[in-house]
Amino acid sequence: MLLPKFEFHEPESIEKALVLKKQFNSGARFLAGGTDLLVYLKKKIVSTDHVISLQRIEGLGEIRENESDLFIGACTTMAAISRHPAVQKRFCALKSGADNMGTHLIRNRATIGGNVCNASPAGDTLPALLVYDAAALVISPDGKRDIPLRDFFKGPGKTDLKNDEILTGFRLPNPPDHSGAHYIQLGKRKSAEINVVNAASFLTIDPGAGNILSVRIALGSVAPTPIRAPEAEAALMGNTAGDDAFNAAAEIARSRDCSPIDDFRGSAAYRRAMVGVLTKRTLAAAFDQARA
Amino acid sequence: MKKLIQMTINDRAYEVAVEPNKTLADLIRYDLGLTGTKKGCDTGDCGACTVILNGDPVNSCLVLAVQADNAVIETIEGLSTDEGLHPLQQAFVEKGAIQCGFCTPGMILSAKNLLDKNPAPTEAEIREGISGNLCRCTGYQKIFEAIESTRS
Repeated sequence: MLLPKFEFHEPESIEKALVLKKQFNSGARFLAGGTDLLVYLKKKIVSTDHVISLQRIEGLGEIRENESDLFIGACTTMAAISRHPAVQKRFCALKSGADNMGTHLIRNRATIGGNVCNASPAGDTLPALLVYDAAALVISPDGKRDIPLRDFFKGPGKTDLKNDEILTGFRLPNPPDHSGAHYIQLGKRKSAEINVVNAASFLTIDPGAGNILSVRIALGSVAPTPIRAPEAEAALMGNTAGDDAFNAAAEIARSRDCSPIDDFRGSAAYRRAMVGVLTKRTLAAAFDQARA
Repeated sequence: MKKLIQMTINDRAYEVAVEPNKTLADLIRYDLGLTGTKKGCDTGDCGACTVILNGDPVNSCLVLAVQADNAVIETIEGLSTDEGLHPLQQAFVEKGAIQCGFCTPGMILSAKNLLDKNPAPTEAEIREGISGNLCRCTGYQKIFEAIESTRS
């Protein structure tokens, strides 16, 4: 398969990248890891006259530990996320998502910014980013804005990003003490899989009384975008953490928070059933961590 | 417009002018004649085009040649020495891990990267380490045994 002809630009600063994007507008596409874009170009799913590589822009590929949050640059690869000590220690559900994406060869190129901008309902890092309450950091010629990740996805392959904007990275607030999070993906095999259903949960508990102080549940592959499960979350808030509460929340997530469809990877009914199972399991695993 | 890029492949320096829409796999095979790197699916699924780019194995069909400017690359041709085959290559021969051979260069480079970073991998780690490389002949077991026989 041949790649169509295009002009290649490799700006060394965000400012230069913004100028190029403004100049070529919708005739230009940003290139990060290339594991989606180059496939789409080869298969003629997208076409473009200009490819603007973000790879040589300093800082976009780094992970920075701040006092109250973790910054992950948009061009950080899945492999780099997985081996970063702060991710391993405090954001294990994100590590798990990064570890399960594609194959080890893909993970050495694919970036978190690409995974998010590709906006697949089944994206591997997306449920974890949602439950860690990540914000997408965006820059344009007009200035900067932060988009809460739950407002970022607008449809399959569609995001809130405007034509002249660049996603520079993500800010993940450090989880408070007595928190835990877990991610599970369900597929037919262990590698190179597109998820049938994927889910993540995050919990903070009061270590004395055992009640739930905060909770976030995110589901993938069961709606046009990765979603939070607001009704299940509402049912858990303030309750005593444990199997009874988790079973009840799983039932609500299954019946009210998702809208799966039939496709060749699985039926809507199976997906819905698995939302219940994965919600329960991710909550239980998050709870085990939170009280550890 | 062609762009002049420099790279080191198997310890040899190259300077080539490439079109922006040329992949690293095509550059390595057709311009540089290193045909040990195979092209299977061309979409990052099969791993036949695996090369080690700046220390990490990647699908060279999903890297633009221009992105590899100043890179250090290792292909299957870089493994053997005057003394003979690389121990992994020898193990693949001895264990019958090669049938048609199309996946073998990628398979060996993935295995080499695994063993370089983790000299004593578990069974699960070996299987994970080659999970990006598809083989339609062997059923993977002999490949697994070849890699297992060379771990420390």
